[in-house]
Amino acid sequence: MGFEKFLFYVFALITLWAAGMVITRRNPVHAVLFLVLAFVSSAALWVLIEAEFLGIVLVLVYVGAVMVLFLFVVMMLDVDLAALRAGFIRALPLGLLVAGVMAVEIFLIVGPANFGLEAFPPPDAAPADATNTRDLGILLYSIYIYPVEIAAVILLVAIVAAIRLTLRRRPDNKSVDPARQVRVKKGPDRIRLVKMAPEVEEPFGASPTTESGETS
Amino acid sequence: MLDNYLPILIFILVGILVGVGPLALGYLLGPRRPDAEKDSPYECGFEAFETARLKFDVRFYLVAILFIVFDLEIAFLFPWAIVLDELGIFAFWAMVVFLGILVVGFIYEWKKGALEWE
Repeated sequence: MGFEKFLFYVFALITLWAAGMVITRRNPVHAVLFLVLAFVSSAALWVLIEAEFLGIVLVLVYVGAVMVLFLFVVMMLDVDLAALRAGFIRALPLGLLVAGVMAVEIFLIVGPANFGLEAFPPPDAAPADATNTRDLGILLYSIYIYPVEIAAVILLVAIVAAIRLTLRRRPDNKSVDPARQVRVKKGPDRIRLVKMAPEVEEPFGASPTTESGETS
Repeated sequence: MLDNYLPILIFILVGILVGVGPLALGYLLGPRRPDAEKDSPYECGFEAFETARLKFDVRFYLVAILFIVFDLEIAFLFPWAIVLDELGIFAFWAMVVFLGILVVGFIYEWKKGALEWE
């Protein structure tokens, strides 16, 4: 137990440090990268409480996909740092108020009074061949099947909303549809080469004899 | 169960060591005499004329968010695949409904042309 506790404190410290760096870095891209570090160490914490599937999904979905989206958003926003910091002092009291209310709420819910080891004694360590994924699957697809379908509907809403909000046609686009290129027929669609007699243009300038020899 | 993850922990530590070690060695052992010219950004010989923070086209965002949606769908498939033998036909049809709802979204984005890059 001692080594696990040591690992917990190591990963918890990394998580807290990374989360602190997220809100103090001036460069938003650095902040996003520290958020990745916070997610990875949170995944390690989840593995430590034997929620291995959730830990791996956290890395897979959040680190792999959501953080890429965050990077896109950070780059798309074209953040003006000076303008962002200008309102810092003015917004500080409101921010402190919201943060204080949230801290009190979190303390009321997961405070030591009703979330400690006394209220929930630690379960026995799982045997070496226990699969967390199987336990999760049995619960998800029997008792909690209705929330799973609701999750599907929420994902559907996300698809439709993302497409409605961001899909734009670019009128200045000059790209060619390859399918239409392949369907070109030999007769009217292609360039037609026409044979004709050569046309000789008159040389420019009235008197070619005086100037033609000097051009070398 | 956590004993199974000890090799992964050692692997992470070795990975960090391999990644950080050469950087730290180069930082400690290499000569460093920076001056203003060396520290300035270099862009193929001419002056750097703008910041690297360009505005991205919003369509990258669309591709990323569509990827996230189907990534989550796959995450739901893993526990389902493990317990399908035990839960039987009910879990099968539950996943058919789940996938069916998402296929509606897939057809929508296909017909809207959100999968085409132009």
